[in-house]
Amino acid sequence: MSKPAKTHKIKMMEEQLAKKLNRQVVGSLVGCVHCGMCNDCCHYVLSHPDDPKMTPSYKADQVRKLFKANHDWTGSVFPWWVGADKVPLTDDDLDQLKDIAFGTCTNCRRCTINCPMGVDTATLNRIMRGLLTNVGVMPEGVRVVSKDQWELGNQMGVLKEDYIDTLEWMSEELEEDLGHGEAAIPIDKAGAKIMYAINPREVKYDPRTIKEAALIFWAAGEDWTMPTEGWDNTNFGLFSGDDGLGGASAKREYDKARELGVDKIVISECGHGYRSTRHEGVNWSGDAEPFPMESSVMTMLRYIKEGKIVVDPTKNSQRATFHDSCNNARSCGFYEEPRELLRLVTTDFQEMYPNRAEGFCCTGGGGAMSMSEYTPRRLKSGEIKANQIRETGAEIVVTSCHNCVDGLGDLIKHYELGCEVKQLVDLVANALVLEECAVMKGRPATAPVPEAPVPTAEVEAAAVPAVAVEAPLSGRKILVVDDEEDIRTFLVTVFEDAGAEVMEASDGDECIEKAKVFRPDLISLDLSMPGKSGVDAFVELRKTAETEEIPVCVVTGHPEFRQVIYDRPVPPPEGYLNKPVDEDKLVSYVAHIVDAKDEKAN
Amino acid sequence: MHESSSLLQTAEVVHWAALIIMAVVYSLRLRWLFNFKPGADKSAPGAPGRTDKKRGANYSLFNVAMPWSMESTRKGFAFYLTFVIFHLGVVAGITLAFLSTITPNFVANPVFARICGSTLVLAFLVAIYRVFRRLFTPVMKLISTPDDYFSLFMLTAWFGLGAVTQAHLAGVQGFESVNILVAYLFLTSFFLVYVPFSKISHYLYYPFTRIWIGRALGHRGSYPIVRG
Repeated sequence: MSKPAKTHKIKMMEEQLAKKLNRQVVGSLVGCVHCGMCNDCCHYVLSHPDDPKMTPSYKADQVRKLFKANHDWTGSVFPWWVGADKVPLTDDDLDQLKDIAFGTCTNCRRCTINCPMGVDTATLNRIMRGLLTNVGVMPEGVRVVSKDQWELGNQMGVLKEDYIDTLEWMSEELEEDLGHGEAAIPIDKAGAKIMYAINPREVKYDPRTIKEAALIFWAAGEDWTMPTEGWDNTNFGLFSGDDGLGGASAKREYDKARELGVDKIVISECGHGYRSTRHEGVNWSGDAEPFPMESSVMTMLRYIKEGKIVVDPTKNSQRATFHDSCNNARSCGFYEEPRELLRLVTTDFQEMYPNRAEGFCCTGGGGAMSMSEYTPRRLKSGEIKANQIRETGAEIVVTSCHNCVDGLGDLIKHYELGCEVKQLVDLVANALVLEECAVMKGRPATAPVPEAPVPTAEVEAAAVPAVAVEAPLSGRKILVVDDEEDIRTFLVTVFEDAGAEVMEASDGDECIEKAKVFRPDLISLDLSMPGKSGVDAFVELRKTAETEEIPVCVVTGHPEFRQVIYDRPVPPPEGYLNKPVDEDKLVSYVAHIVDAKDEKAN
Repeated sequence: MHESSSLLQTAEVVHWAALIIMAVVYSLRLRWLFNFKPGADKSAPGAPGRTDKKRGANYSLFNVAMPWSMESTRKGFAFYLTFVIFHLGVVAGITLAFLSTITPNFVANPVFARICGSTLVLAFLVAIYRVFRRLFTPVMKLISTPDDYFSLFMLTAWFGLGAVTQAHLAGVQGFESVNILVAYLFLTSFFLVYVPFSKISHYLYYPFTRIWIGRALGHRGSYPIVRG
């Protein structure tokens, strides 16, 4: 039986592969001796011991076969001898390759540092991803996120007005906390010393970290700004293998920094964002002169060492452990500074083992968060990390990476670890002794000392009644949808205490019926429900004329929600909150969503 | 060179010719590799105080002699030992082949014979273990190609024949036939010609791949690996 002819996509992949070859890549392609030493270093292998296809060598062989068939002597003449005969020929073969390249590897590089030959297997997997992306074969989440980063300049599709609105919202919150507007976030300030670039996840789902960073910059007396363009430090080109997207995304940041005339780009805590902006983006974009850049971790550490901010570690007394982001530790050698900072702001730090460049992946990286179809496999592969955390007895897991925040959050829920995830910015802000910081120096002794905001749930709960003039959700109608009665009762009580009129629904069908009748100002939607799931209900809400404009805030404890954020069959939800929900964060967040909708309508 | 038989003389000539062919093909291989453009990292060095491309390269190049430096060799120390024995066997076998044609009296020396012979016997046993591993471990079966199998089978046979050849050269009773040495030289010749076209040529690339990854990760500050 004759072999099928190569499809056009395969031919394009072969052409593209030729353009990606350099000495280092070729060295990795020819250097593998199939010794299997990488096998026991991979978290996918260790958690799927009965599946030999998880081995890193097998994954790298997918691109190696293509190389050998087209560029290697023996492979060109005797392809069957070196396994180059089993190359993809049809588009069905490409679907299998997609599953291997995107679904069985987070490109964490643990295999690379454990290879006796120095083969960079993770880079080879990224090359395969790039070849597939180039011919349009990729998970739907990757497609959507890449499109948004190309078109809107950020990977979560945040519109410029929503981004600026979020910064202004955080500035308002700081003003409420401090009693003055000195700490307001400067936007597009020309000539500032620092341009702060963030992860769009902070805008969309966790703006508190923006507020905390702003507080720290203000306390240190820093001359800083956040830009209206090029503000996204993340880079989906790293995950998709698309060097073009990688270069374009990084260039946006560098160009904006030059336009504003800042001295330095400070990158918020994001593993792949740091690696892409600080290192890979320079190479992808062909930037002749790398712009000075540093992680916000180094910035905060420097502030403490220089005495610009003073911290009290006793304010963070819970046992903490530190998870090294793969991109930070293995690809950037960035692992001592976070520890140094952590030791300054906590009193009980327990290492997990192994750590630093030998740390295990949390399975949140490599774009895994955007590929909901691989969630069960990803969670299983994270068992090793879960066991590491459990052994430390830590109450908080600290990390300097937003993908790791999500990845670890999923593992904590899935494996019931009973701890929470924080970033260093959270701990530094919490530990600030504001009256001793640089911004307070030189103030007259009679000047009032602004109260330092302590962004913990308990203190925020105590502060809110003193600040709020009227119930924040007064006059609003909210529909609470959750199959668990206790959670529904809790949410209803919280919203009613905040002044809202509340209706309840316990499943997806009831949600849609009541949404049509009640026409709420917002729907608080759980995703994991029996019968019609929250995801299906959400899609139907968006596709129904009477309900498509109703803002939705997803309140869930399961990772399935990422499907609606990344795959985006319909416009994504306006908000997302992780269970268990903080009362005050919920009210504040929901109030912001409905107020923002009113402003747009006006 | 030996004068005892014309077949042996032919084997010796073929052996040296094979070496020259191997050297020529290896030169062409290196030229092919270096025809590809070099990758470069234009980003600023990674970790202040820890960033050093040269130190990273040295660490990477010599980590083969530091089994504690990689988790894979640390945790798989027994396998690492088999790796050492296997490759010492290769050194012993090549040394035996060349010295047998240049200084046959030296290879007959009892001390040399014991060291070389023992190494080849141990390497043979390790090779047998590796054959079973490659044939019966699911992961190894999945990733192995005909080249992987053939290279291993050939080396296993070569180690075994090398041990027998050493016994012959040392004058051990029962191994008197000169055809043992002839067979060994012909097999070594085949090995020398085959290697540049097979996975065994990995040792040609080894210094380059190690230096390149070492420089890359040294520049970023990830190498040398620090354990906490």
